[in-house]
Amino acid sequence: MSREQYQVPTGSPTADGGSFKVAPRDYVSGSSDNTMHYLCGDCAARVPLDKGAPIRCQRCGGRVLYKERTKRMVQFEAR
Amino acid sequence: MPHKPPTQEELERRKIVGIHEETITDVSSSDYPWTYPGEDHSWDIEAFKRNFRIEFHQNDPFEASFSLIGCDASIANAFRRIMIADIPTLAIETVFINNNTSVIQDEVLAHRLGLIPFKGGKEGLHKFLKWWRRPEDESQINNSYYDFNTVSLRLEVKCEHNEKAAPGETDPTKLYKHAHVYARDIEFCPVGRQEKYFSGENAIAPVNPDILIAKLRPGQEISLSMHMHKGVGSDHAKFSPVATASYRLMPVIKIERPILGKDAEKFAKCFPKGVIGLEKVTKQEAAQKGSGYEGHEGEVKAVVVDPMRDTVSRECLRHPEFKDKVKLGRRRDHFIFLVESTGQWESDAIFLEAVAHLKKKAQDLEKQVINMVR
Repeated sequence: MSREQYQVPTGSPTADGGSFKVAPRDYVSGSSDNTMHYLCGDCAARVPLDKGAPIRCQRCGGRVLYKERTKRMVQFEAR
Repeated sequence: MPHKPPTQEELERRKIVGIHEETITDVSSSDYPWTYPGEDHSWDIEAFKRNFRIEFHQNDPFEASFSLIGCDASIANAFRRIMIADIPTLAIETVFINNNTSVIQDEVLAHRLGLIPFKGGKEGLHKFLKWWRRPEDESQINNSYYDFNTVSLRLEVKCEHNEKAAPGETDPTKLYKHAHVYARDIEFCPVGRQEKYFSGENAIAPVNPDILIAKLRPGQEISLSMHMHKGVGSDHAKFSPVATASYRLMPVIKIERPILGKDAEKFAKCFPKGVIGLEKVTKQEAAQKGSGYEGHEGEVKAVVVDPMRDTVSRECLRHPEFKDKVKLGRRRDHFIFLVESTGQWESDAIFLEAVAHLKKKAQDLEKQVINMVR
């Protein structure tokens, strides 16, 4: 696939799988979705983190934070 | 010299594969034209009908054992191969993973799900459900799923701490809720006419509800939906309706000269239990001249009770005391089948379906051949 054809997917998967409802979500301007959630590497807590906030777990102070898994549906062949 | 028709004994002998200490003789069949001068061995449907027999030894839903007697290895092998590779079953084919934070990777999880055997209403499975074909236009794939070709399943499990667990508890299944994900957690989502065919008793469900799919720890979650399609074993082993479908030839044990006393007991120990029995030599046998029993009245002798249970280990051929007293072999035209069903079909129905399938194949071939010569 050439680079020009690539588009950032904006659809959110539906529960039944297979079909996508195209409903673009705005990550930048939305006030509620502005904070990202990360997973603490030490205590496994879900850590909300604002833009520019120190990278640190509020519960245990751990400095290793992991990204959450994609919210998008992933399709596999059961083979 | 005019040709003499073969005796019954001779005909029996021709059917035996010889099993010797280190070699096997007469492996291939000889009942075809031009093997024996003056004898007609061309294939004849009437002769086949006369000689062919089927005997059932065991017929349970998950395991059937039966004998095909009087047919060629090519036919028996065709049935075996059709049972393994050509009888359609329903299995999970696509997995749509919304979330999987367990330690088991998505593709491994999908593969494990695919291998789980499912059961459901027989009428719905065999008559109502049809093949699903991938549309030529990939963009039309979401319009190719119908109630008659796709079965939808869901699996939603989330592991949490169990507050009611006793202090000091170490068993993860008690310490956490949903620590183990089993096949019974899979939920069937009927669509359209599937309600009619797969409700109540007939619902699509795993045959073995206790299959462990994954293990979870608190905070981990599996959330996915699945599509099942019909398929055949030649495409993927998960579609095979049988765990094993195999055959073996009927063992033949022929005691040529009497085995008596202590030797008889030792001889019986050379075989699995129940193959060789011990009997007392009778008065008549002892009185018969040249039988080898003279003067042995009342002693035990070895007799063949149930050769089918023999594994043909050839243990008896290792011992010098049984030399020339016993002949081992297998009947070339007696196939003992063992069919183990995975649960979607009844084990005997798999064989019947294989017969129908072979017939269909033969009819298809006939059409092709007729077209070819026209």
